[in-house]
Amino acid sequence: MIRLQRCAVCGFVEYPPREFCGACLSDDLAWESAASFPGRVVARTRLHHSNEPRFRARLPLSIGLVRFDLGPVAICFLSEAAAPGDDVQVRLGVDDLMEAE
Amino acid sequence: MRRSDRGAAWFLAAALRRLLAASGLAKIDLDGLCVSSFTLLPDTAVSFTQHVGVSPRFLEWLPTGGACGIVALRRAARAVQMGDASVVACMAGDTANETSFRDLLANFSSFARDAVYPYGAGGPNASFALIADAYMRATGATREDFGKLAVAQRANARRNPLALLQGELTLAHYLAARPIAEPLHLFDCVMPCAGADGFLVMKEARARALKLPFVRVLGAIERHNAFPDDPVQLRGGWAMDREALWSQAGVGPKDVQLLQTYDDYPVISMLQFEGLGLCPEGRAPDFVRSNSFTIDGSVPHNTGGGQLSMGQAGAAGGYLGLVEAMRQLLGQAEGRNVPDARHALVSGFGMINYDRGLCSAATVLARA
Repeated sequence: MIRLQRCAVCGFVEYPPREFCGACLSDDLAWESAASFPGRVVARTRLHHSNEPRFRARLPLSIGLVRFDLGPVAICFLSEAAAPGDDVQVRLGVDDLMEAE
Repeated sequence: MRRSDRGAAWFLAAALRRLLAASGLAKIDLDGLCVSSFTLLPDTAVSFTQHVGVSPRFLEWLPTGGACGIVALRRAARAVQMGDASVVACMAGDTANETSFRDLLANFSSFARDAVYPYGAGGPNASFALIADAYMRATGATREDFGKLAVAQRANARRNPLALLQGELTLAHYLAARPIAEPLHLFDCVMPCAGADGFLVMKEARARALKLPFVRVLGAIERHNAFPDDPVQLRGGWAMDREALWSQAGVGPKDVQLLQTYDDYPVISMLQFEGLGLCPEGRAPDFVRSNSFTIDGSVPHNTGGGQLSMGQAGAAGGYLGLVEAMRQLLGQAEGRNVPDARHALVSGFGMINYDRGLCSAATVLARA
């Protein structure tokens, strides 16, 4: 499951996670869960360099900026096929990178 | 220098020592201090007063990254204008080694720690690659456009003995470089290094009395977290304030003979060309193609080589363009003076807190 915070007062959806609403400053935030959240790829890059040894063995790595339909943007690992303008599903999983360690 | 085992305070103290030596002032004459640094932590500007033994009545600690030089200048000038200080030393400095750089990236901000760094630990290269990718798609900018700026800066650096990178760079070399975070390749990225930069701010009468060379501040702006609803950063905050800047300065974009932008990547210089009104929004590729950016070019730009060729000494990168503009206007840029430079436009950009740079700043300086 993937979770995003939504403000119980104004409905604003937050990401990255925080302790208060970035729009109305209320601290009444609730978690909204789903198997995945839909979004659209805004930009992508393929990393050929990483500052952490655990990622270096897996280069090149594709990451992208994805805007959730709910509003905020997230930096995500991308599948090789995902291109800017594409509609995608953002999920949270035990990914290959971590399993490979 | 490329790497150092010395701490940030050593570099800041060295800058202060040279400011005092060059001006003939004593520590007791300094009643204002602005400091920026990433690697000075856990110490701050407050700690630094005790390290160097000064007792300022005006003190700023400015964590605004690539905008810190202009922000310092702006605060210091206002403090001097209002009588809160008479002489303000503004400085930024950082040390550099493998550990300091990785720790800085991993804990740059809470959002970066939680939601950026875990996705491949690409650091600023990854964040700016996403911006560059979006910018290229939106405007038609090409790698050749970015390369033209990088190549011109290297040519400028070859006339600056302080530049760390002096080797000849051609467009062919630029294009053939290895990828770092596509579309960014090696010569799009700054080389981290250690160093410090600084200047003094005081009233003109004081500078004249001390027989010090000086430049005038005609105007300065800053803006933070501009356009938060843009899904990706294709503009900085300059667009919100550029009319105020040119109005304060009493001159326009066509009246400046020198341009110093914050070039952590060439694409960011292009955002500044647009944001400051040198060309319309989205048209920097045309501006790049129809101008030349070397010291003797149609738009002398980053005339000391910029960070791309001088290296990025942490927060001191936010002072580099400002100090180069001052040297140029004072005729002290030996071997690379732009002839008849009367006005300089300097801009700063800083702090990728999450997905975009939050701090934008700019100033117009004039020869005395």
